[in-house]
Amino acid sequence: MGDLSAELMKELNCDVVFKIPIFGGIPIYESIVVSWIIIAAILVAALLLTRNLKVENPGKGQLLLESIVTWAYNLILNLLGEKGKRYVPYLLTVLLYLAISNLMGLIGFKPPTKDLTVTAGLAIMSIILIEYAGIREKGPKGWAKSFAQPVAIITPLNILEIIIRPLSLCMRLFGNMLGGFVVMELIKQIFPALLPILPSFYFDIFDGLLQAYVFVFLTSMFIKEAIDD
Amino acid sequence: MGTLIAIGAGIAVLTGIGAGIGIGIATGKATEAIARQPEAQGKINQSLILGCALAEATAIYGFVVALIIILFLG
Repeated sequence: MGDLSAELMKELNCDVVFKIPIFGGIPIYESIVVSWIIIAAILVAALLLTRNLKVENPGKGQLLLESIVTWAYNLILNLLGEKGKRYVPYLLTVLLYLAISNLMGLIGFKPPTKDLTVTAGLAIMSIILIEYAGIREKGPKGWAKSFAQPVAIITPLNILEIIIRPLSLCMRLFGNMLGGFVVMELIKQIFPALLPILPSFYFDIFDGLLQAYVFVFLTSMFIKEAIDD
Repeated sequence: MGTLIAIGAGIAVLTGIGAGIGIGIATGKATEAIARQPEAQGKINQSLILGCALAEATAIYGFVVALIIILFLG
């Protein structure tokens, strides 16, 4: 029990890698460094993949790339509806970042989504975007009035939702990643060889991708709700 | 003390029962709906995922609470 607890605490903790020596030292955590690696990888991939794009006679690679991008774009657009077209690129970016960072555990990095601060940051960005979309669509007055819909008595609940939504988004992602990780650790302690391969497919690959999708899916649902009625 | 903490964490994780029942019912109904109307599969899947994500949240909260109990009391 004490052993496991110490092990969990060690995994939960995010180490400080180095400090930026201004303002009395800003600590840079492991999750930030892994995020930078992901950003660099995405950037390099984007630059390499979009070289030599042609309108006439596109190559095989370009066709594949176009079909993937169109598929992903339509996936989010169907969730958001025509009015929410301008939020698609942001949501696609979050989807790509989350999918890659959830899979980072497979190649030996600590996934950034296992750090509560990263998921909290993403959830706060989501709620800001949701409320911004509502204000932009309805105007400040209409947005303020939308809290009292459909009946005035549930106004407190609607206001509470501003806090509950990002909290639940953040905890869902964090809890799922950590939960999968803890279960995998326990399985590895009991059967160190061969058996962990099977649950690893579920917990590391399937659950990671599903949670990335669920995060973006819920955010776009909330945005649609904010701009629709 | 250690036993009590373990029992507390175990009770907190019991929230998973609710999520399990909820997701089970939702998936069963979704399967029925798809069997009845295979052409509506996309929309059914979409609401199934939304429902599962919301139902699952309770289980996740239970897990986080159990973890907090083990880490900060144990």
